[in-house]
Amino acid sequence: MTTAVSATQNMGLYLASNPGVKYILFGGKGGLGKTTLSAATSYWLAKQGKKVCVFSTDPQASLTDIFERKIFGQGEVEIAKNLYALEIDADKRIAEYQNEIRQKIRDMYKMETIPEEVEDYINSSSAEPAMAESATFDAMVELMTSGRYDYYVFDMMPHGHAIRFLGMADILDQWVAKIMEVRKKAGEYKESASVLGSQKGGLAQEDYVLKELEFIRNRLDFVSNMVRDKTHTAFFYVLIPELMPILDTRKALEMFRAFDVTVSGVVVNQVYPQELRDSGGVPDFLKHKIDSQQEYLGQIKGEFADLIRGVVPMLDREPKGLEMIGRVAGILFGDSGVFLR
Amino acid sequence: MSVMRGAEKKEGEPKKEREIIKAAKGVMYGMALHGMVTYALRLRMHMENLFMLITMGDMLGVPVLPPYYSLRLLPYAVPYLKTWKQTLLRDRDITDSLY
Repeated sequence: MTTAVSATQNMGLYLASNPGVKYILFGGKGGLGKTTLSAATSYWLAKQGKKVCVFSTDPQASLTDIFERKIFGQGEVEIAKNLYALEIDADKRIAEYQNEIRQKIRDMYKMETIPEEVEDYINSSSAEPAMAESATFDAMVELMTSGRYDYYVFDMMPHGHAIRFLGMADILDQWVAKIMEVRKKAGEYKESASVLGSQKGGLAQEDYVLKELEFIRNRLDFVSNMVRDKTHTAFFYVLIPELMPILDTRKALEMFRAFDVTVSGVVVNQVYPQELRDSGGVPDFLKHKIDSQQEYLGQIKGEFADLIRGVVPMLDREPKGLEMIGRVAGILFGDSGVFLR
Repeated sequence: MSVMRGAEKKEGEPKKEREIIKAAKGVMYGMALHGMVTYALRLRMHMENLFMLITMGDMLGVPVLPPYYSLRLLPYAVPYLKTWKQTLLRDRDITDSLY
């Protein structure tokens, strides 16, 4: 019962036929190999002479382990020629951001010490769960708008978080628009009062607040537009031949469609080679595992046929270190269906 | 001396006129515009309170905007925080509606 599953258009061909792509995102359930495939894609692109930065938005990021280099919280670390990796230390970024706000208050009001209630508010904000997500989001936008790289590869957080992450941008965008409306209305009333009476206008302050709101809105808009922009963004979903990841992928495709996000393809990872089953001395346990995978591969082929961009086998060694990442890249961007036929 | 008195008289008249005009303006303003200005300022105050609530709401236990973004706006809100909290948290009674 061999199921020949191959990429209808593999990763290399997909990128070649979509030359405008600049942002590459890998999503999927946790533990299926998003980080490995992000690293492999970045490695391959860097080998093609493109300057690439791979960024992990996953709070359980493992680029440090994959590249066997200390990356976490170190900024953009050069891994190889043209290849850079970035893993955000959200706590550190939040602390730096809070200090910036404190300094701004001190400078604006020539204060030595921050008022207690303001200080309490700043301190308590770091305990909010959305704070780490927002800090990562902000770092992601900062990197993308920097324009320093030819390609930006994002190892996204697991599916549920990614949906929330994208949803957050949309909801906040609408929210900020409403806040701006309120702020503008407030400014108009103030202006009317100053024209009619002797009240002093507060327009200078008003402008600063509106500028800040505009800044926040632009950042949110950038991500909202980026994930929906088929010309510049490619979104790949990673799954393995098992029931839960297939169901998850089906659900994710529906949810992303609801957000008007097009999934550019799926990559099937951790596939046991069929040849292994037929070789001698293979225990029944492994034979059953391979049979089960073949069955699910059939399902994947039936359901996501045109979307399959690569099939990556379960390797004999853990995919870490540049040599192994290079091997994964070779499979992902080569004729990845051959080994299954 | 008489010249000076004349000058005082001449200066005094426009001053008086100015005062009359000012008073007339005040009456006109009070009759026609004061209500509108107060109304505009009251609306502005409500809008300001609403803005503070949706941006700094979690200071009063109403989490609306994620703090990462409200922190950006915090420096501009510092001078108004005390008044805003007092306005929002004070007890209200029927006499408030008379104001």
